[in-house]
Amino acid sequence: MPRLIIDNQKIEVPEGTKVIDAAEQLGIMIPRFCYHSALGAVGACRLCAVKFLEGPVQGIEMSCMTDARDDMVVSTDDPEARAFRRFIIECLMMNHPHDCPVCDEGGHCLLQDETVSGGHDIRRYKGKKRTFRDQYIGPFVQHEMNRCIHCYLCVRFYQEFTGYRDLAAYQIGYRVYYGRFEPGQLESPFSGNLIDICPTGVFTDKPARYRGRRWNMERSPSVCIHCSLGCNTVANARYREMLRQEARLSESVNGHFICDRGRFGFGYANLPDRPRRAEIGKNEASWTEAVRALANRLTISDGASEMKKTAVLGSARSSLETQAALAILAGSAGWPMPAYFADPHQSSVCRTVVRRLDEGLAVSMKEIERADWILAVGADPINEAPMLALAMRQAVRNGGKAGVIDPRPVFLPFDFTHLPIPREQMEFCLNHLIHSGIARQEADDAGEAVAGFYAQLPEEAEFEEAVREGISTLAEGLKQSEHPVLICGTDIVPLSTPDLAADHAHLLNRIKNTCGLFYILPGADAFGAAMLEASAESAFEDLLKAIEDGEITALMVVENDLIGAYPNRKRLETALDRLELLIVLDYLSTPTVDRADFFLPTTTVFETGSCFINQEGRLQYAEQVHAVGAPIRQLRGRSHPPREHRDEVPGGDPRPAWRAVADLVRALDLDEIRLYTSGPESWLTGSKGPFRFFQEKIYPPREGRILPAESEVAPFKSSIKKEAKKPEAGTLDILFVDRTFGAEALSALSEPIRRAEPAAAAFIHPKDASELGLSDGDSAILRFEEGDLEIPVALNNDMARGLLVIPRKPDLEWQTAGARFPRIARNRIAGVRKETE
Amino acid sequence: MTRNKPNIWKYSLSAVKGIYDAYAVSMINFLRKPVTEEYPEYKRPLPERSRGRIILTRDPDGDERCVACYLCSAVCPTSCISMESAEREEDGRRFAIWFRINFARCIYCGQCEEACPTLAIQLTPDYEFCQYEVLDFVYEKEDLLVDHGGRHPDYNFYRHAGVTEKGDKGAHPDEEEPVNLKSNMP
Ligand code: SF4
Ligand code: SF4
Ligand code: SF4
Ligand code: SF4
Ligand code: FES
Repeated sequence: MPRLIIDNQKIEVPEGTKVIDAAEQLGIMIPRFCYHSALGAVGACRLCAVKFLEGPVQGIEMSCMTDARDDMVVSTDDPEARAFRRFIIECLMMNHPHDCPVCDEGGHCLLQDETVSGGHDIRRYKGKKRTFRDQYIGPFVQHEMNRCIHCYLCVRFYQEFTGYRDLAAYQIGYRVYYGRFEPGQLESPFSGNLIDICPTGVFTDKPARYRGRRWNMERSPSVCIHCSLGCNTVANARYREMLRQEARLSESVNGHFICDRGRFGFGYANLPDRPRRAEIGKNEASWTEAVRALANRLTISDGASEMKKTAVLGSARSSLETQAALAILAGSAGWPMPAYFADPHQSSVCRTVVRRLDEGLAVSMKEIERADWILAVGADPINEAPMLALAMRQAVRNGGKAGVIDPRPVFLPFDFTHLPIPREQMEFCLNHLIHSGIARQEADDAGEAVAGFYAQLPEEAEFEEAVREGISTLAEGLKQSEHPVLICGTDIVPLSTPDLAADHAHLLNRIKNTCGLFYILPGADAFGAAMLEASAESAFEDLLKAIEDGEITALMVVENDLIGAYPNRKRLETALDRLELLIVLDYLSTPTVDRADFFLPTTTVFETGSCFINQEGRLQYAEQVHAVGAPIRQLRGRSHPPREHRDEVPGGDPRPAWRAVADLVRALDLDEIRLYTSGPESWLTGSKGPFRFFQEKIYPPREGRILPAESEVAPFKSSIKKEAKKPEAGTLDILFVDRTFGAEALSALSEPIRRAEPAAAAFIHPKDASELGLSDGDSAILRFEEGDLEIPVALNNDMARGLLVIPRKPDLEWQTAGARFPRIARNRIAGVRKETE
Repeated sequence: MTRNKPNIWKYSLSAVKGIYDAYAVSMINFLRKPVTEEYPEYKRPLPERSRGRIILTRDPDGDERCVACYLCSAVCPTSCISMESAEREEDGRRFAIWFRINFARCIYCGQCEEACPTLAIQLTPDYEFCQYEVLDFVYEKEDLLVDHGGRHPDYNFYRHAGVTEKGDKGAHPDEEEPVNLKSNMP
């Protein structure tokens, strides 16, 4: 461990630490442009020069390129070092345009800061400035190349860290250019990080272009709710309008970066048609009127405390507070316990996940980066949890091996082995792969339970050549692996897969002493939702059954677009028609809201502080960013704000959904007073609160995993089949799947995301397509019993046969298929030729 | 040793002189032309740089100078300037969709003018705009915007910025032709 002296302070740092980091540990921030702790050092900008006074290195050196060594004496503010740095800045500024006033980076620009603090103020260079032409690089990022200082951070991030190639450095010498070969949308779904990472204004936030300076923003730490990973962000709002999101460093979740779905997906919060007034029938009402009228409708007869039995459906996108409040409401009103997943498939797989995940197995994304063997089953990381793909890439860059068992055309920005196995054979393939990667002796040595489980795994498997090769590569990797991780998706896997994945994780854990298990869940707070459903044994299917049987005539849907989420449109419509009362609480305008008899507007994650539990069981708190109310720009269009004073904020009616529930509890005279006498702090943290992990009486809670040390479920109970299930001939499986852009309900409403999303297309294997007489770009008409679904097809070689993969886009009426995993006879697919001009 | 006695005559003389001098000054000024300027009958022409009501000026092309950079509102010690920046639909130019100064709060310190990189915001010698209603002191952009360049009629920020709203790069003074990426010539 080298010991050195920096600015007269002694410090001891681990071997290999750069001097720039050692100084930072002492609180000395050496100026820098090109050094980034996630991307390493290249010594491109020369700004981090310091003077080495004594020791193994002497003179002016770059602190980002120099490892800390014993006996070094470093001065960061030696006059010579300062002069050097001022010189560097002056050189970098020689070609810089005179445009800070119209640059969106201004106010949080590192180049501005370093120029001012370095002391360069008067331009001495009299020559001409070099100029570049800019490019259109998509709806997310604005390009203004003249501002570049050639630090290479952008291409290092884009190519090395995210693995995409379409942004590169061109030309030589002082003409080096960072851009694309041709103008066009950046391919990487992580391109938004260029905005954060570029120390100048070359890459700026396009949706927030010219919307305000950093110092004008209301900024709060927030959590992304566009997938289950829960990446940390900083949300920026101004004049009650969400304008921008930045990545927030989280050592265990997202690291320094976030994906574009998370960064640009907030547009739903600003929509002009966002419902902001309570409605009784279709008539607007004040909040108090609506709650009182609703309470009256729910009470059967005056004076009697008897209440109309109401089914409650929460959601996986709601905060934990709301989910818990619903459970308290249903419990104290004597209603059936709430369900949180409209989709029965999601409900059962998520419950399995919360029952199986424990501290022994769960890993964070940081730990995935350190894994040396990763196998994902039924998961499409780029589309279902984009940042996971980035974490996997880091593992592969560090020499790890990765494989994916999934029938879909999975793309990942790194080398991996794709096993495109039909959905019903994935488990068989997983069993066989693990069997091939573990020697019998190892299993026998790991105890009876492991050996017994291992003995059931299929030794023989008939797959096609390419798949067999893939399996043996991965098995080989597993044999050498010391830190394996299993990733298990929940969107398309058979119901038993999460259990099986947990069993395999246990198996590897006992044999290798460590094995991580990482699930992907459908929703930002799917974990909390599943915990509540699991503990109350509730499910929406049961509630729906009761509605169909006429036992329940009222339904309360909270922050859930039931009509969009339920996979059988016809059955749902019939059930909804039987209802006497449909109560909807939401912050979006959805088809479900349109049907509501009572509507209460709720707040978004940016307008209330709220807790979410991500897919690894990590509880995180998103702070409030701005006050509730219609954005000022929506009040008077492109003109100045109103010139009158009012008591209340226009459009300020929405309340947190849990607050609405509390108001209802009070209006119904239920005895759960703690719901409305105080905020979530008392009822969530109280000993009777529904969440056992809120034991410490602090609110907002401390962030961290809330998993049990050991799951109550004994491992190795999965039933293992010796034979692979054969796909049915004559039919095609249909998978409705998530996409990075355009399929997740909230971000799909965001304008820039809509611009970036590819046109809806169904993926199909070329052989299936030619059997059906379809070629690329043709439309397929799927004739389901309840109606037709028309969608263009895209041929893809890298996927299973007998399969159609269709994105679950909100405007695509996929629910007409009538089932979550429908099959369709080949003769019920008709083709329509692509029109060619 | 004897002590000096106070000289009574000398004292008396200076007392009389004091009274007389005062009368003399009064008499002289009584006969002089008055220097008091009767306001509002007489309005004194103020120096060009005196600091009164604020205006937003235009560039030599007649376009709004202000690019809504927020520097004036950031520097203003009383926080009386507010605005919202936006991209102009026609040509992508950055401008303020609204710009508001609350003159009831302004202390006419001139910091905003000092900060303005485009010479858009300028203080004028006009100080005569009293109001009875506080809200009448809140000036919107249409009240602030004038049709001239104020004290600096010639400067045009966009000719020097190095960013273009229209036209090609490299067209500003002291700029080279844009780099041709697809050429290997030095
Ligand atoms: S574009 Fe930005 S990040 Fe890339 S080299 Fe230039 S200044 Fe650095
Ligand atoms: S990976 Fe998921 S949680 Fe993270 S930023 Fe993207 S959408 Fe949000
Ligand atoms: S003169 Fe001073 S107080 Fe008045 S607007 Fe300008 S900066 Fe603010
Ligand atoms: S400083 Fe000048 S250009 Fe910037 S906002 Fe104020 S008036 Fe406009
Ligand atoms: S930060 Fe060290 S050379 Fe750029």
